[in-house]
Amino acid sequence: MLDLNALTQAVGDLDETAVVQILEAFVAENPSGEEAYSVVNACQQGMAIVGELFEKNEYFVGDLIFAGELLNQAIDILKPVISGDNSKKIGTIVLGTVKGDLHDIGKNIFASMVDAAGFEVHDLGIDVPPGDFVEKVREIKPQIIGMSGVLTLALDSMKATVDALTAAGLRNDIKIIIGGNPVTEEACKQIGADAFTTNAAEGVKQCQGWVK
Amino acid sequence: MTDVLALSQERTQLFHDLIDGRVPKRVPISAAFAHEFAIQYAGRDLTEAQWDTDALEPIFEKTCQDFYSDLLPVSAFRLPSFYKILGSRNFVMGSNGFIQHPEVEGLALEDYDAFIASPFDCIVERVLPKLYSNLDTDSTTKSMVMAKAFKAYTDEMANLGRIYGNLIQKSGYGYVNFYSGFCEAPFDIISDQLRGFKNISIDVRRVPDKVEAAAEAATPLMIKMGTPPNPSPYNATFIPLHMAPYLRGKDFERLYWPSFKKTVEGLKANGMRSFLFVENDWMRFIDYLAELPEGTIMCFEYGDPKLVKEKLGKKHIIGGFYPVSLLKTGTKQQCIDKAKELIDVLAPGGGYYFSFDKVIITLDSANVENTKAVLDYVAENTNY
Repeated sequence: MLDLNALTQAVGDLDETAVVQILEAFVAENPSGEEAYSVVNACQQGMAIVGELFEKNEYFVGDLIFAGELLNQAIDILKPVISGDNSKKIGTIVLGTVKGDLHDIGKNIFASMVDAAGFEVHDLGIDVPPGDFVEKVREIKPQIIGMSGVLTLALDSMKATVDALTAAGLRNDIKIIIGGNPVTEEACKQIGADAFTTNAAEGVKQCQGWVK
Repeated sequence: MTDVLALSQERTQLFHDLIDGRVPKRVPISAAFAHEFAIQYAGRDLTEAQWDTDALEPIFEKTCQDFYSDLLPVSAFRLPSFYKILGSRNFVMGSNGFIQHPEVEGLALEDYDAFIASPFDCIVERVLPKLYSNLDTDSTTKSMVMAKAFKAYTDEMANLGRIYGNLIQKSGYGYVNFYSGFCEAPFDIISDQLRGFKNISIDVRRVPDKVEAAAEAATPLMIKMGTPPNPSPYNATFIPLHMAPYLRGKDFERLYWPSFKKTVEGLKANGMRSFLFVENDWMRFIDYLAELPEGTIMCFEYGDPKLVKEKLGKKHIIGGFYPVSLLKTGTKQQCIDKAKELIDVLAPGGGYYFSFDKVIITLDSANVENTKAVLDYVAENTNY
């Protein structure tokens, strides 16, 4: 069995060569499904280190994107030894870039980080009308909605989405977090969201707090 | 002399003083609205009006009449006609009619070497057909598409040039143009148009040598692109900066800064000053900015105005920092107080003009009354 701490550290260091080497050697030993899960878990803990370093301004957005890529690569290597999907999910999140806005880099970073943190993520994509959020919430009953936007006009769409969820009688059953360039505390209040962030790692912590 | 001509001369003088390093009579104001805002403000439908540039003059004029500025406050960059003809993937329209730049890959990873060997040929032969779907065809059709798109582009630009000239004359704006040329930092053009935000973030770690060589190779092209046919010391080349705040310090130092600095210096050698939109927060890199040629104009989005004044205030021309988001969410008094606060820090000794932290792009980006109140406040209360 491999050294899980070393793997966690290599993921945290974003040391691609080391991560690939460790995982390929591990898979070659034909491990059990249970062992494979402890390895996935070690990778996820490495992602938590990445989030911490981001919050400390040692990593930046480019590093978060690379971390997402590294995690995908790790899961691809591990796939042959992971039997079925019995990983436990800690909660469900519906995400989207709101109507009128086509920017999705921030949303994608957040999606890969909450995914790594153990959430089931439903990503509705970009330019998502309020009605699509409402429909998805009805269908899968998530605990959390995440709305993203880069343009200032996204604030109006976020408000329209919250209003639509309220009108549909769904607002009280969910927590809403908004993220992206234009969001501020003031905007968060006006929109009627529960939390706001311009920092994906902080947003993940907020979501974890909600499902504890 | 007519009143409007005298007004224009006075406003020109404000900016000439700013640029020449003298303290102007008052804080010069450059308000900036996108054509999308002007169309919506005039009560017109964006999805329709942006197709007909012939008819934009009265639409732009309404914004000019209602919002104070010393320079022409409306400009148009992205118009649908030529992007539609090209089948553009790098500039596409949202459901609200607003054209945006989505994540796109114009250059494949394996094409780095071709780009480094000959950037222009590589862009024409490999990148354009990926960015513009209607150029991804046989050479005869491609030539026709390109000719049509260029015709549309030059028609639109001629219309806009005429409208800008008329409005400057009618409203008595200053004769200073911060958008007389346009280019990007070499690393940014490779990120925004060639590789995409996600790919470049991965390339920076996997193939840094290629990224470095590609930025180096793009530099002469950016200097050429950013040099207008008639350089003037009172005009500037607009360079919207993008990727630096998302990079680690050592990646910035190696992959972003050297080619960008060369670009600004190359423009300077060609007689053009640069007007930088310093997107997001560059405070980590402020000592680098201090190295840029004297008189470089920088409009800051976020960061610490005090630090910027202290480090750059004597050498460079500073604007920005005023949060458009506050115009959207604040009360009128909060908005005016913010202007006062920024002016107290940035205006002393000159080298500062008032502008918002970014262009106001659509009507729902800001509260119109707050925006008017702030511009009027600055125009009436900032005599030196």
